[in-house]
Amino acid sequence: MNDLDTKTWFSHQVEEHTDSLYGYAFRLTRNRADAEDLVAESVTKAWSAIESLKDKSLFRSWLLRILHNSYVSQYRKKKIRPVELSYHDALDNNEEDDFTEFLSEMSDDFLTWWGTPEREFANKVLQRDILAAVEGLPEVFRTVVALVTVEGFSYDEAGEVLGIPSGTVHSRMKRGRTLLQKALWEHALEAGIITNNKTEEYAP
Amino acid sequence: MSKKNDTPEVAEIGCLEALDGLYAYIDGEMDDPMARAKIEHHLGHCSACYSRIELENLLTQRIQKSAKGHAPESLRNRLQDVLGKL
Repeated sequence: MNDLDTKTWFSHQVEEHTDSLYGYAFRLTRNRADAEDLVAESVTKAWSAIESLKDKSLFRSWLLRILHNSYVSQYRKKKIRPVELSYHDALDNNEEDDFTEFLSEMSDDFLTWWGTPEREFANKVLQRDILAAVEGLPEVFRTVVALVTVEGFSYDEAGEVLGIPSGTVHSRMKRGRTLLQKALWEHALEAGIITNNKTEEYAP
Repeated sequence: MSKKNDTPEVAEIGCLEALDGLYAYIDGEMDDPMARAKIEHHLGHCSACYSRIELENLLTQRIQKSAKGHAPESLRNRLQDVLGKL
């Protein structure tokens, strides 16, 4: 492929994946202007490093990795949240984390509901509340949910983007999806979409 | 001696073990056929875990619908400029 062909191919690829790039950038930055800056900057960086892309079929994950690393090195410095760092440290130090132990930290009321959910619950919550629950996840979980659930990446591909083993992606998926449901459950209780029978039963 | 059944017996697992592997199962990441068979066997017998997987699948569809968006026109125009200068 000559330079002109490469440039044409690169431009088509960027255009094809712009929604994906912006969606992931927005999940990271949670801000439209920052997301646009991040995508534009990442595309420029990607073109500079095009020689490093050996397998062209991996373009999307390769570019998302560049985007993710750009975010980590620049944007994150401005917006670090201590709670997210503690999650990150805990997971990095304990990749074979115990899901049962994680569940044991949840309230009994939530676990009772979580153990026997009604399918209709997912239909009752509003789209905007689902989106808000995704946006509200700590960053380490938000990124895997964005890549695996939203973008449809495999655990290996998501691990490539994030620079972590696929086992850690799996671990974060379990925790992230559980936290997401906890947030939706709490919202549904507040909104009266579901009732907490146990709480009502034992209320004084 | 004749075999009574050629199908290997699937070991029973509890709800916690099933839930631990549920996301890998849903996401198509469970490569081990025996691990998959254990989950499926459990789901066939446990209505609570079956409800959970139904809820998870429905929630996955709704997350995709909520979160999949379109890039703004301003970004598309900006990228055209960036790509035009390469």
